[in-house]
Amino acid sequence: MSTIAPQFRLSRFIGSLFDLIFWVILIFSLVGLPIVFIVLFYIKLPVINNQLMTPYLAMTWMADPSRTLPIVKNFMHTTIFKVMAFPGFGFAALLAAATIFVERKFLAKIQLRVGPLYCGKIEGILQLMGDGFKLMSKEIIIPAKADKPIFWLGPLLFVGAAGAFVSLIPVAPGWVVANPNVGLLAVFAVIGFFPIIAVLTAWAANSKWTFIGGLRALHQMVAFEIPLILSLLGVVILSGSLNLSHIVESQEHFWWIAFLPIGAIVFFITILAELERVPFDLPEAESEIVAGWLTEFSGMMYGLIQLGTYLKLYAFAGLFVVLFLGGWNGPMVWPPFPQDIITQGITIGPVTAKFPGLPLFDQEMLNGTLWFVIKTVGVILLILLPRGVFPRVRIDMILHTGWYKLIGLAFINIFIALGLLYAGVLGPGGLLQ
Amino acid sequence: MVDAVFLALSVLTIGSAIAALEIRSLIYGSIALMLALSGVAGFFLLLDAPFVAMFQLSVYVGSIAVLILFTVMLVRRELIFNKVEDKRRRYAGIALMIVIMLGIGTIIIGSGLKTMDTNSAEVDYKKIGEDFLTYYSPALIVMALILASSIIGAMTLARREDVIDGQRAD
Repeated sequence: MSTIAPQFRLSRFIGSLFDLIFWVILIFSLVGLPIVFIVLFYIKLPVINNQLMTPYLAMTWMADPSRTLPIVKNFMHTTIFKVMAFPGFGFAALLAAATIFVERKFLAKIQLRVGPLYCGKIEGILQLMGDGFKLMSKEIIIPAKADKPIFWLGPLLFVGAAGAFVSLIPVAPGWVVANPNVGLLAVFAVIGFFPIIAVLTAWAANSKWTFIGGLRALHQMVAFEIPLILSLLGVVILSGSLNLSHIVESQEHFWWIAFLPIGAIVFFITILAELERVPFDLPEAESEIVAGWLTEFSGMMYGLIQLGTYLKLYAFAGLFVVLFLGGWNGPMVWPPFPQDIITQGITIGPVTAKFPGLPLFDQEMLNGTLWFVIKTVGVILLILLPRGVFPRVRIDMILHTGWYKLIGLAFINIFIALGLLYAGVLGPGGLLQ
Repeated sequence: MVDAVFLALSVLTIGSAIAALEIRSLIYGSIALMLALSGVAGFFLLLDAPFVAMFQLSVYVGSIAVLILFTVMLVRRELIFNKVEDKRRRYAGIALMIVIMLGIGTIIIGSGLKTMDTNSAEVDYKKIGEDFLTYYSPALIVMALILASSIIGAMTLARREDVIDGQRAD
């Protein structure tokens, strides 16, 4: 019979627990409390229900479940919640993670395979979690001759740039992290950072595979940025705004894809190239140059790059929805919040509980989010689809497509938009508003 | 708050500009140049001109810095630079810079532009577009002609008639 810890003594274990508790209390009261008070001195406390929400009051309210809702509701409208949870990182990362799993299953079904099967009993539903734990537990290997600062910074910058892109996408009316007046230009500025990061990390790894992949990524992304920008100008001309929320509002009655199908097609192809997806996945062509500019990444560094890639995919799909598919606009299908609960509370047997602060989200926001998610998931599936169907194309064919054909089509799209504008059909002051 | 941001941006911009000139490694030099250009974009944001700031980022950082990186990585260093460096050139350069900065500084201070208004509303890009198409339209036309001619010139220079590529897919 073997024991896990042969030297185990219960008294020592309990003694060490008390030891731990003693040190935690000591350090918290000597260091933690002063820090809490210093932070509280600088933070501007919110006013809820005409009362200043001091931490003491907040704790009192949190103890009573019927009074926590106003605090939660107030917290949901702060910037930190927007950045971390709903229209920002958490929401996007959730969709991105779902995309990684769905991609594998979806491609398997297309190619008559089974895909992930064993992890989690039902259709391999826990495969993603297993992959995540594997990446986290693996060692991070830095090549001996790599340029270490840039190599370390690369994945972080990649995720950062992808997060900046995500923050510009409006999900529901008023639910967007950053809403600048020049939103679309901000998108162009953020997209411009990706080729730099790719080529710098590729150079820093000091390997021929990464360098070839990085140069390919640079060629391809720089070539496709121009048709990307040009294909979106039609939407800007017709909606008369660079603000992404305004562009969505301008599509209340019809989507711009109905009038600018060429622009939408060009934009979709440039999305595939910017995301390095099949058939334009030359930068990480796994059958030619190992894994392209990702070759030397291992462990969680590779995980971060992967996270950034899928965040970018979500953001591009969201941008397509915002610009061409009407964003959050759609018929009101979300049921209204039952009025009885707001006015009379919930009655269970003899107990009646009233919850001030309901409903937590208004109906418009939930409906908008629903439609946005449905459309975005559709576009994401369309982006994934070519990977199961098409082979990879050569680099000269990619560049030829980008520099000649797509730019030409994008100009045709701009002329269509200008024609609709000057004929007085669409745009500011047009017949169809 | 604005003053602190202004100071931080100034330190970032000037520091990375000096680093771009002084660092031995060309790659790090071009990264420092990118930082300097991004710092300039930050100044534009402080001056309530997000339109110019975004173009600064997408044109200078997104395109020109990429071109510089490209050149540095693909061409051997001896082909770009031949190293002519001595103390006298260096001091002459610093002296020239100080003279130019003093000149520009006196002009700016003499022009009455002494305070920076950071609380005004941001410049509307529609107003910029209107100005370009009305008052500044000759300048716009001249710029368009210059750009078009330089693009045509670049294409003529880059064209090679002696190479026939049999593998092209078109």
